[in-house]
Amino acid sequence: MLRISGLTKTFGSVRALDDVSLDVPAGQIVGIIGRSGAGKSTMLRLINRLNEPTAGSVVYEGTDVTALRGRDLRAWRARCAMIFQQFNLVDRLDVMTNVLLGRANHVSPALAMLKLWSAQDRAMAMTALEMFDMGRLAAQRAGTLSGGQQQRVAICRALVQEPDLILADEPVASLDPRNTRLVMDALRTINREFGITVLVNLHSLDLARHYCDRLVGLAAGRLVFDGPPVALTDAVSRELYGLEADEVTDADPAADPRVTPLPARRSAGAH
Amino acid sequence: MTARVAEGPLGRQARQRRAELEGRYPEIFSPPLLSRAIVLALLGAALALFLFGFWQLGFSFGRMWRGLGRLGDFIPLMFPPNPETWARTEMYLWSLAETMAIAFLGTVGAAILAFPLSLFAAKTVVRSWVLRWPTRRLFNSVSGVDTLIWALIWINVVGLGPFAGVLAVMTSDIGALGRLFSEALEAADRKAVDGVTSTGGGPVSRVRFGIIPQVLPVMASQVLYFFESNTRSATIIGIVGAGGIGAHLSEQIRILEWQQVSFLVILILVTVAAIDWVSGKLRFAIMGRAPAGAAA
Repeated sequence: MLRISGLTKTFGSVRALDDVSLDVPAGQIVGIIGRSGAGKSTMLRLINRLNEPTAGSVVYEGTDVTALRGRDLRAWRARCAMIFQQFNLVDRLDVMTNVLLGRANHVSPALAMLKLWSAQDRAMAMTALEMFDMGRLAAQRAGTLSGGQQQRVAICRALVQEPDLILADEPVASLDPRNTRLVMDALRTINREFGITVLVNLHSLDLARHYCDRLVGLAAGRLVFDGPPVALTDAVSRELYGLEADEVTDADPAADPRVTPLPARRSAGAH
Repeated sequence: MTARVAEGPLGRQARQRRAELEGRYPEIFSPPLLSRAIVLALLGAALALFLFGFWQLGFSFGRMWRGLGRLGDFIPLMFPPNPETWARTEMYLWSLAETMAIAFLGTVGAAILAFPLSLFAAKTVVRSWVLRWPTRRLFNSVSGVDTLIWALIWINVVGLGPFAGVLAVMTSDIGALGRLFSEALEAADRKAVDGVTSTGGGPVSRVRFGIIPQVLPVMASQVLYFFESNTRSATIIGIVGAGGIGAHLSEQIRILEWQQVSFLVILILVTVAAIDWVSGKLRFAIMGRAPAGAAA
């Protein structure tokens, strides 16, 4: 169980995250939705401790994560793997080494430096890669892969960390529809097969509705919605997205948001 | 919260499938020992070459040790640093100003000439090799000759004095700056150029608006760095008579006036440190204002 209480982060005079409290039981896929700047990324970065909260706490299974330092902090980061919009792989290293970096926290630093990974670690990396049809790309340089492939490598890297949680920050925002589906399916697979809790930031309400057990809506840093996808009414989406709501929600979830009728677009422009 | 020893479901799966995976991906599981051996052999060879060089050039700890003794003999003679007369102090300060002027004029002159030339040398600006190739060769040949050699050449052409010094700094730096500038131009992000092209911009606007704004901070920072380092080399070229404080320094060393020498050395050290500090601040300010992409 991940318990977030009163979590607040200010950058100068801006309250990026404002007194957010949330309980996430193990095994859920939680979609965090809201417009750009609503505090979605800030929340994930605070959980992984990439940023320090201004106030509030994150408690995981009784341990106050916000108080961890040094080795314990690194161990915590290894337990809640992060997936980024821009993949954040080491482009010049091969896929295999990128995935094995996920094991770095589990083996002795000297062995990791010399790239002397055990056969068991290699087997884990290959198992993860094969799960997403990436086995044959293991020896390729990460920088030469397509965006969707790179994101799946990033998911494999997260997976071999054997994390309890995966925090995915806009994992599909730079991907085309087909790769979007592959990557979201991959997240669902690791949730179902390994029981890993997934917190995923999403722009698209349709994706969030389709893949998540539970949705959490942020607006201007505050929590404004928390419930199952069916509870997300038009009124709530309007509160989340303001005038843009017509653009991101649609009667037909399969509809492409780019073909929204013109009037809505004009009102968004005026805003 | 320490690292867990318990094996997760992925670890268990991997353990079960290990033999099968090892069979299918042999190159992944047995790391290429040969390539590691080659790397080690190359490192060993480099070390051997290094030691051979020392041996060949007669490197001897004994001589170094005895030399240190002699250094100890004349270091006390350097104290206290003393220019003796005010007239001399004035003369030294004047020469120091001359040295800085040589560095400044030489660097700025080199930058002004190198900038247009670098456009011809950058693949992203000039596609055809007809212009690019000779420009690159020009850069390589002039920067292949050291500033000191250029100073000796220019003294014979325009006579002794700071003018020869300015020309020497300028010639050798046109090559170096030109190469750095053209590399910065080539490393510039193509996306901005595509944006300008998409609006119907011609080749001139592509360079003016797509590339130059990205690379200007990089170039400015390189020029400042060169000014810094040229203040030091302008001291050296004074020794061969191309103006500046180096002439006094070599003269005082020759006539064994150690107190004068130490005064000059301190003067130079203080100046170089001051320029380092100021230009470091400036470079940081310039690079800071253009984050990310421009620095690459």
